[in-house]
Amino acid sequence: MKRLPVLFALGVLHNPAGATHAVTHALGQTMVPDAPARIVTLFQGATDITLALGVKPVATVESWAEKPTYHYLRNQLQNVPVIGLETQPSLEDMARLKPDLIIGSTFRNERVYDLLSYIAPTVAAREIFAFKENVRLIGAALGRQDRATALLEQFDQRIAKTRSLLEDKFRARWPLSAAILDFRSDHVRVYLTDSFAGSILSELQFRQPAKLGQSGWPLMKLTSKESMPVLDADVFFVMLRDDNGAARRNYEDWSGHPLWQQLAAVKRHQVYRVDPVAWSLAGGIISANQMLDELGQRFLRAEAE
Amino acid sequence: MDKWVLVRANGYSRQLHLQSLVVILVLSFIALLIGWLSLAIGKYNLSIPQLFTALGSGQIAGDAFIVQILRMPRMLLALLVGGALGVSGLLLQTIVRNPLASPDIMGVTGGASAAAVWFLTVAASSSGAFWLPLVAMAGGVAGGGLVYLLAWSSGASSTRLILIGIGVSAIMTALTTMLLLFTPMSSVMSAYVWLTGSVYGARWYEVTNLAMWLFPAVLALLWVGRSVLVNELDESLSVGLGVNAEFMRRTLLVLSVYIAGAAIAYAGALSFVGLMSPHLARRLTGRPGPELIVVTALVGSILVMVADLIGRVVFLPLDLPAGIFVSAIGAPYFLYLLLRSRT
Amino acid sequence: MIMACSHASRFRSALILVLGIVSLIALTALSLAIDKTFISFREVAQALWQPDMSDINHILINTTRLARTLVALVVGACLAVAGGLMQAMTRNPVASPGLFGINAGAVFFVVFFSAASGVSTTGHMMQLAFLGAAVAGLLVSGFGMMNRAHFSQLRLVLAGVAVTALFTSFTQALLVVNQEGLDNILFWIAGSVTGREGDAIGVVYPYILAAFAVSLLLARHINILVAGEVVARGLGQNTVVIRALISLIVIILAGSAVALAGNIAFIGLIVPHLVRHLLPHDFRWLLPGYALFGAVLLLLSDILARTLLNPQEMPIGVVTALAGAPFFIYLARKGMRNG
Repeated sequence: MKRLPVLFALGVLHNPAGATHAVTHALGQTMVPDAPARIVTLFQGATDITLALGVKPVATVESWAEKPTYHYLRNQLQNVPVIGLETQPSLEDMARLKPDLIIGSTFRNERVYDLLSYIAPTVAAREIFAFKENVRLIGAALGRQDRATALLEQFDQRIAKTRSLLEDKFRARWPLSAAILDFRSDHVRVYLTDSFAGSILSELQFRQPAKLGQSGWPLMKLTSKESMPVLDADVFFVMLRDDNGAARRNYEDWSGHPLWQQLAAVKRHQVYRVDPVAWSLAGGIISANQMLDELGQRFLRAEAE
Repeated sequence: MDKWVLVRANGYSRQLHLQSLVVILVLSFIALLIGWLSLAIGKYNLSIPQLFTALGSGQIAGDAFIVQILRMPRMLLALLVGGALGVSGLLLQTIVRNPLASPDIMGVTGGASAAAVWFLTVAASSSGAFWLPLVAMAGGVAGGGLVYLLAWSSGASSTRLILIGIGVSAIMTALTTMLLLFTPMSSVMSAYVWLTGSVYGARWYEVTNLAMWLFPAVLALLWVGRSVLVNELDESLSVGLGVNAEFMRRTLLVLSVYIAGAAIAYAGALSFVGLMSPHLARRLTGRPGPELIVVTALVGSILVMVADLIGRVVFLPLDLPAGIFVSAIGAPYFLYLLLRSRT
Repeated sequence: MIMACSHASRFRSALILVLGIVSLIALTALSLAIDKTFISFREVAQALWQPDMSDINHILINTTRLARTLVALVVGACLAVAGGLMQAMTRNPVASPGLFGINAGAVFFVVFFSAASGVSTTGHMMQLAFLGAAVAGLLVSGFGMMNRAHFSQLRLVLAGVAVTALFTSFTQALLVVNQEGLDNILFWIAGSVTGREGDAIGVVYPYILAAFAVSLLLARHINILVAGEVVARGLGQNTVVIRALISLIVIILAGSAVALAGNIAFIGLIVPHLVRHLLPHDFRWLLPGYALFGAVLLLLSDILARTLLNPQEMPIGVVTALAGAPFFIYLARKGMRNG
């Protein structure tokens, strides 16, 4: 990675006054002040996790839905300004805010990493939806490792508990296969294990639907209703943006088709509408817990087929 | 009647077209003005004294950081990219003698786009962002090269060149679309922003790199610039005047593809600049010639700088890609010109 | 220019049209049989004539497959005829409906209004697309053909480029700030004949039929127009009116095509070239030829699009580009014949 000669001349990274500790992240190692108070978060999951660790950021980027910030975080983000889109956050605003720490990601911010480092020590997440890894990273950066560990342990306990509830409920039929479907206006997306919701479901030991796994595609976008048989699974979790009428219409189209009625999940009435913010868009630890909440309330307490 | 100015010094004697000179001066002034605005205006505006302090400051902090590290490279990149794309379009239109020619239809933009989107969707996680401009430039040059190979070998008719350019661009666009649709990533937004064209996050090293790439092209242009005038005239006339037409056309084509490839590599698929700048420049000077190259470069630079300024300043707190505004300002003005003209 | 056809060539032309019809029927049968699963021809026939509503294959054939096939045929015909008319009107072998900025206008209207108010039905989306196509087309023909005394092809094309760029930039502005919006229409933009229920065609059908009928009526006039401006005027033709009518037809046909199937390239460009090699240069023959072969080619492309990436599908616009562009390049290298 190239560094500006200017930066070298002036002494590479911003030298924070006071005690610092080293944090290793996807783009190298950075010296971060010990108890940073002014944090800028540059992706959705980072905002969620920072709040979960008990720190209110001084600026965040715009959310993908429920703009400018997700409803579930809005109370905690009172008076926190939004400095632009996740794809192009305003560098000037960040410079003016004089933050102690910037939390970004390789995916979005690699190109401007030098600039960010100049404004403040910057740590970059490897993968935006890998929330557990990010909890540890941000915990280390904020100096709140204990809290981070506690959050993760709490989450793992919930997973274990939910898993045993699932085993109890379904006994011999467990593990079930589950498909996560995201209906858009012109296609249907299927999220596989390598996604936020998919990773949580596989921790709960849901199986991936057989045919999807075999097909070899990491992420599927289906446009034709005749492709439906490939989705076959025991349970469907369906995401729909409520303000997108066309997506709803697409869902009605698909669910009205005879091929839909032949799918296992449909025959057993195991089709659940879930919140896209918690299951996909937010990508943090709070939203992961919300996903488990929803799973518990809707799926576990639903009537038996 | 065109007016001319005679310049003589130490045995060097040259006639300069007066109207073009005036236009160049005015445009340079406008470019400087826009450049200054780009440095001074933003979410935080700087007054003139503040700007000068920030520019002169050796200590990079606060205002100086914003001006020297954030705004200045961005403004300079816009300047270079706009000028390069404008000139590339002019050269192309000259060679093909068709006012519709532009890097976009010569497969350069398409090739660069396909390469860049491939890199952003498939390869990005393994290699650093550093490689993107090189990959894009390779793609752009490959696209242009493909068009050249296919068109030239069967006779260098300009119509044929354009047609083949359209064909190759279409293939590249189809490949890009496939990549966007079937990428393993769940978000294609970064790739889409690249396709729109943006100088966000421009760095000094990018400015110097691009300047480095463009420098030999500028030298080459100085050398062949004179034939731009002649080449616009009839081919038999230019041959009669002793210009090696075929060689000249090939050189200009290579230059055009190279310049456009370099520019697109650093700013994304900024389309329309290459098509529009020559047209606007011609209307301003009214006369083909080497001065036209300078005027076109200035027009292109101003266009992209203004577009970036608007994107950065008008929609706060959002920072929108310059590519959007290049067409948004350029197209209506273009239509207005069409309305006014008779031909 | 002498347009008379000898008996031999008339017979040959008729034969070619018949061949076209035969391939149409064959491809239709194929299209009903092949999709993600293969259904035997016998069963296809049964489904069409003696449908059994509880048999899933029959349902598939009569709903999704039939609708899709029909849309592909109609859109292919519209695009080819629109392209042929554009090439005739501009006397330029590389003209295509895309010149009118139709795609860009349609996309912009869909994106803008669905962002603003949430488009809920396919019908609405189609109306918006058609409206956008019409606005763009009218803008371009307005700007491009303003000068009644002198038709300048260059002017028309420049107007088209400018209007396309304008609408594209607005669309980009909307999509850059709205990631969800982008993900929602990428497939539609890239071209798709699926997901449209049969009644979607019903909405545009009357307009398309009317446009085809008018174009056939105008066929003789178009023959004259193609002969050259001076000749046409000399023969007393009001070229301005004819051009205006042709533009209207092109806008209706191409606009309907975009509304139904998104952005599909090259059919409008290549089919007319192919057909002009096969049939005499008389629009009374050419127009049906364009429609027929356009339908055939697009249906073929769709069959490829839905089978190559099973279970996902390639957008049909990509298939036509990947198949059409090399062929187009080949034609360009060999030299193209004027329309």
